[in-house]
Amino acid sequence: MEQTFDLPDSTDWLGTPLSLLTPLESALRCQVCKDFFDNPVITSCCHTFCSLCIRRCLSTEGKCPACRSSDQELKLRRNWAVQELVEAFQNARPSVLDLAKRAATEDREDAEVGTAQPASKKRKVDERDGSNSEVSEGRQTRSRTKGVERQTEPATMDVVEDSQDEEYVPEDGLVACPICNRRMKNEAVFQHLDNCTGDPVPPKKISFGSLQPMSPASRTLNKAPERLPTINYSLLKDNVLRKKLKDLGIPNWGPRPLLQRRHTEWMNLWNANCDSKTPKSKRELLHELGVWERTQGGSAHPSAESAGSVMRKDFDATAWSTTHESDFKQLIANARKRSDALVRTTIPSAAPAQSQESPTVEQPVEATIPTNMQKPEQPLVDLTSAAYPKIQHAQEPGESEEPYTLPG
Amino acid sequence: MKEHLPPGISIAKSENLEEWQMDIRVLDENPLYQNQVYRLKFTFSSKYPIEPPEVQFIELPSTSETPRPIPIHPHIYSNGIICLDLLSSAGWSPVQTVESVCMSIQSMLTANTRDERPPGDSDFVSYNRRRPRDINFFYDDDNV
Repeated sequence: MEQTFDLPDSTDWLGTPLSLLTPLESALRCQVCKDFFDNPVITSCCHTFCSLCIRRCLSTEGKCPACRSSDQELKLRRNWAVQELVEAFQNARPSVLDLAKRAATEDREDAEVGTAQPASKKRKVDERDGSNSEVSEGRQTRSRTKGVERQTEPATMDVVEDSQDEEYVPEDGLVACPICNRRMKNEAVFQHLDNCTGDPVPPKKISFGSLQPMSPASRTLNKAPERLPTINYSLLKDNVLRKKLKDLGIPNWGPRPLLQRRHTEWMNLWNANCDSKTPKSKRELLHELGVWERTQGGSAHPSAESAGSVMRKDFDATAWSTTHESDFKQLIANARKRSDALVRTTIPSAAPAQSQESPTVEQPVEATIPTNMQKPEQPLVDLTSAAYPKIQHAQEPGESEEPYTLPG
Repeated sequence: MKEHLPPGISIAKSENLEEWQMDIRVLDENPLYQNQVYRLKFTFSSKYPIEPPEVQFIELPSTSETPRPIPIHPHIYSNGIICLDLLSSAGWSPVQTVESVCMSIQSMLTANTRDERPPGDSDFVSYNRRRPRDINFFYDDDNV
């Protein structure tokens, strides 16, 4: 994947004169998804994550991933300051990185050519860049002359100054198309560029992009989307839960655990969208739920823990039988004991006859499992039987399912 | 990211998003691990990073171009399975990364002075067919 996509990363700054922007960019990225904060929210323990990331964490574990203190989704609050920082930084990033990379190339050329040449080369860059070059030169000299310890502040300061002095960044979370100047979401720019006519379009007119609200009706819905409450699933019967999913407009097929997981994911997607300044339409959220369904939900390959794993092609039969060996043995033992008792009490004459048919049984059990088939009204195995634990110990004195203990 | 990993840690294989292999070596003079490189295998589920990756050492024969033994350590079984609480569901946190896990294991090796395998190693190795995540370890050693 990483060969085909040039993913922006905080380490892009390393190797340029602005390498000290690496920690700054790291600080603007979510620790869970490692991407720039998307609708950042702050926890009770004052850690900031993407709204969706922390919601997924809390609905799984109920703990802050950074410090492990307990928290609830209800207590999450939007972190506007971080949101603005991220937007401003993302907006400035391409041009700043470009400058930094050019400066790095120059440095290398300087080193190759010697000390006499750089002046003329720099002048060429100056001509190309116009006024911007002063900024870049200023940075270069600073990072070249100052010690590493001293650099932290100036480098960070530069970025802040950039966003304040050079251009005003509207707080709408959008970026302008470089051709027609229309403002749109960052992700939509490339798609838009493919068919941008260059004519400035009045911002009210919406003619493209699934990221925009589809109709006036859906727009009003998006204005104030209501948060979904958490459900105590144990209080709901299957059909009530199924109806709830149907009412929400999401798929309601599948076994109960899947219904719960799907509802949780939908709640996370929905509530995270409520934290957005530019909420997506329900259709888009449904699309995202569809992606979840294919990767982790009902249409995904069942995970090892799920009940369907036995049917998987790569099912590890050896591991399965090893793990459940003692269970199997208990089941068999119980079945034998039961059928034995049955045979003795109900068909006394059957006992000697059966003994020939079970030569492999190591215990003096006279009846084999097939005997039970004659008595279908009796449960084959009674796991609630009081004899259960006793049999386990008698059957498996050497077997150990206990965890491995390490020395202290 | 590739080019900027901490010293002693490098990517050996990362062609897809399901399995990565990392090479790690110990940086100090610890005689148990000197001049040796070890190979870690990371297996990611679709729920990563909410769920931990499966991490274990893998062995490449000493005859291969890049020999990779299983490091000796009282918490590393000779089949490469590592007993480390941050790799369990309970100890894992989604803020961990491949890099941070590598560094933890690196320091786990660095700090070790005992030239031994976990107790019951041979039994465990011959008997275990389970995946590491299904094993219930006791994490009773805080000096890792």
